[in-house]
Amino acid sequence: MTSPDDGRRLPGTTLLTIASWMFSEQFVSTVVHPTIADLQSEFVASGSNRVGRLRALVRGYSAFWTVMLHVPLTQWAAPERDADAAPGFAVRQFAGGVTALALLFCAGALFDVSAVILMAAGAVCAVAIHHWYERHPLSTAAPSDMPWRPPQINFSSMDVAGNVGGLIFVVGSLLVVVLGVPFLLTILMAGAAAGCLLAWRLAAWYRRHPNAGLPENLIVLR
Amino acid sequence: MGRVTGTLPAKEELILDLLVSEGPMHGLALVEQSDGALKRGTVYVTLGRMEAKGLVESEQEPVPPGGIGLPRRIYRPTALGTRMLRAWTAFTRELAWGTKS
Repeated sequence: MTSPDDGRRLPGTTLLTIASWMFSEQFVSTVVHPTIADLQSEFVASGSNRVGRLRALVRGYSAFWTVMLHVPLTQWAAPERDADAAPGFAVRQFAGGVTALALLFCAGALFDVSAVILMAAGAVCAVAIHHWYERHPLSTAAPSDMPWRPPQINFSSMDVAGNVGGLIFVVGSLLVVVLGVPFLLTILMAGAAAGCLLAWRLAAWYRRHPNAGLPENLIVLR
Repeated sequence: MGRVTGTLPAKEELILDLLVSEGPMHGLALVEQSDGALKRGTVYVTLGRMEAKGLVESEQEPVPPGGIGLPRRIYRPTALGTRMLRAWTAFTRELAWGTKS
């Protein structure tokens, strides 16, 4: 790669460097590199025409950010598992963290500080659940037996198992709600304590009456 | 190499068609030739997937002396890609003929 005669760096050079830290070598060489090469070739072909250069920049950068939006959908965007131990992995993780923080700061400028705190808490909760399930893949909550249910995003439609992952989900959700609506803290604390007490008593009762509540089905009972 | 499935998505068919009929070209030229069917932001994702399947192959364009900027990547269809396009075209034609009659 060479620079223009006036010694300035060509557009996209820094983005390519950052992308090479964050993504796999294959993804960079097959997708990111050609996208930036197109941007630079159009930019150089525009010569001294300022309108042409501006147009090349707009088109090139919008193509680059469209590629970034497609990253989660591409099958070879993420680094391979074996690459986790590579020296660059920590740098990529750090870059990802910095990007997330930058997005949070942007959100803080647009919304209220409390929105940033909520997003950060939600992100921490999501990362914790993700890491826990990565280490305990067999504990992933199995979906219920319902053949179909309408698509919805709410707490009641989420399958949560009675394990540490479920605990992180519940505590994290409570944390997010409390951060968003602080005056609910007392009610939620009282509700959580009463719920724990009730669960403890129910568990004890079912230990003493193991067949209680089962259907009157002889095959099942046998 | 990725798995070649029994179907050829419309964008991959278009890319193969352009590469077979017009000859090797880079991604931006494919976008320009496609009359808006291919987008700059997604063409390399599709080309990368096709390369993984073995339908196209690519090499970096040689940089001329004094040239500046990153070298571009030139794509050409592989023998498998060409055969796949012919087979897929024949199949869709047969299917259309069968549906009509």
